[in-house]
Amino acid sequence: MSRTAIRSEVVEWASGIYEDLEFTAVRQWLEGHPGRKACGYLPVYAPREVIHAAGMLPVGIHGSGNIEIIRGDAFYQSYICHLPRSIVEFAQSGRLDMLSAVLFPSTCDVIRNLSGMWQILFPDMYVRYLDLPQVADPALGAEFWRRELEVVRRELGRVAGVEVTDARLRESIALYNEVRAIIRQLYALRSEKPWQVPTEELYLLMRAGELVGPEAFLEKAREYLTAAQSDDQRVRDRTRVIITGSFCEQPPLGLIKTIERAGCYIVDDDFLAGNRFLTGDVALEGDPTTALAEALVRGAVKTSVLYEPDPAGKRNLMKNRVAAARADGVIFAAASFCDPALLDRPMLRDGAEKAGIPCIAFKFAENSGQFQQFREQAGTFSDSIKLWGDA
Amino acid sequence: MQNTVTAGIDVGSGAVKVVVMEFTDGTPKVLSQISSRIRKRDIADVVNEVMAQATAASGVAAIDYVATTGEGEDIPFATGHFYGMTTHARGALFLEPTATAVLDAGALHARAVAMDPRGKVLNYKMTSQCASGSGQFLENIARYLGVSQAEIGPLSLQADRPEKCSGICAVLAETDVINMVSRGVSTSNILRGIHESMSGRFARLLRSLEHGPVIFMSGGLAGDVGLVKALEDEFAALKAPTGPPPRIAPHPDSIFAGALGAAIWGEFRHRKLGAAAPAWKAA
Repeated sequence: MSRTAIRSEVVEWASGIYEDLEFTAVRQWLEGHPGRKACGYLPVYAPREVIHAAGMLPVGIHGSGNIEIIRGDAFYQSYICHLPRSIVEFAQSGRLDMLSAVLFPSTCDVIRNLSGMWQILFPDMYVRYLDLPQVADPALGAEFWRRELEVVRRELGRVAGVEVTDARLRESIALYNEVRAIIRQLYALRSEKPWQVPTEELYLLMRAGELVGPEAFLEKAREYLTAAQSDDQRVRDRTRVIITGSFCEQPPLGLIKTIERAGCYIVDDDFLAGNRFLTGDVALEGDPTTALAEALVRGAVKTSVLYEPDPAGKRNLMKNRVAAARADGVIFAAASFCDPALLDRPMLRDGAEKAGIPCIAFKFAENSGQFQQFREQAGTFSDSIKLWGDA
Repeated sequence: MQNTVTAGIDVGSGAVKVVVMEFTDGTPKVLSQISSRIRKRDIADVVNEVMAQATAASGVAAIDYVATTGEGEDIPFATGHFYGMTTHARGALFLEPTATAVLDAGALHARAVAMDPRGKVLNYKMTSQCASGSGQFLENIARYLGVSQAEIGPLSLQADRPEKCSGICAVLAETDVINMVSRGVSTSNILRGIHESMSGRFARLLRSLEHGPVIFMSGGLAGDVGLVKALEDEFAALKAPTGPPPRIAPHPDSIFAGALGAAIWGEFRHRKLGAAAPAWKAA
């Protein structure tokens, strides 16, 4: 099979999973693994290694803009983002009834409140609100998070009927180290040669990885990486941009396509940030729970959902990311009513603009259907950089 | 002597326009310019066909930079893409060096763009989604009236008592036209009424930005002498508080403004990026 064909096959596989609103991939996994269970998690960061070590399938619940919202709107006011509406819709329509547990990370108040609703709506399901450490003292934060992880480890083991031994957890950590490594490779290739890795394709692959388990994801990601490295694509004269602010509610695929078609190469982003929340490998020596806790506290990506102890940290963040990605500009693309992203935006943008970095900003919802305004903004932004900037 | 050859491809909603230009030490020269109506054909086929004609007419063996604009983002052999208002602003300055603004009136929408003398876009405004100010609407009306496109402008100039029609909604405007026909209103007066309705919209668009003294008209409607006259009359009637009304500047090559702008910006990018492999070579 040619490299182009391999690449197309992987993208088609990923696209099928992304578009399937019935979570068939999860159901098929459960059918193929009798006696095993599935555990969902919401954005942004949940310790997938612990879920996997309990023998469960980690299932990323990211909502969807393609589902008609009938029940979801009844749970939320109009000034709340779209993500919880589609998640409630998924749950209330029975599409998530194959899950035995769901983890709700402390991303924002909306997700915290959603965990409470879940407990009331689904009293038989294991529901856990994960309080991620938000402290300046790493030692204190690591100990707090280790204890939290111990509780999750014990309780998911109980739900799954499995004792999550150190050996099992270490194996899962090793597997997820491989997942993180290949994601880093894919992101590095895209940053170096964005014409070889269109963000539309990369995003679909990452999105499929949220539903198929690490083993299947690794297989497909390796196939794609090998094909993308050598399947030469035409180099276009485009502006290199970073997209930031889309770490929780996800933009519609059409928006990602629109930005690239309008003349931009996306060379870094924070879509589905949970899959690369830990920036390095988690240590395989010593106590594995401690290793996971240390990895988060000392090696988490800089993001709006974690406390930033350095007063200048957020102001310098975009400058550092732009330098690392050799980007020409930043597009702040946050979901409407996303508190963490929109509260951070002024600081991030101010820091970027003071560093002379061209920026634009807009808001989207996962169900945004009209892309003309985004096309205009991204197109004129790209033109202004190419014709009047340094690119 | 430094020679660069670029192509600009403007994919509009009604037609594809291709321009091939040669730059000798930065001085531009148009080698060929060809357009073709899409008429329900596959856009990729039309682009390939017009590109083949334009390159054959230019006689070049290779093109350094192929720049697209309009709906041309997906053309596989393009080097880069520029947004429509960027290219129309630059193309306008090429055809009319004194232009301070562009009214790009095409098949599906219209936009007003104000630019500086370098072609940098300063501000812009677009019509909303309604089709009543568009070339497609005018074409539909002409078809109902049994008038060819070339006849629209000259007939409109002959009007003596123009009939007002809806400037907000294409559906209402079409109903107005049907009523006018049944009342025996002359074709000239109907067409002039439509031109007045459209020019009213365009003038409002232009007045919402600082358009300056010379408004260049681009897009498919730029060749409609009736519309140009109606727009001139609209501005004259406004009696602007500061100075005389702006000059409306159509050009015989107005329809190529976007493609020209793309080709010119393509040369700029080619120069900025440094020598690269040709984007297109003769088979």
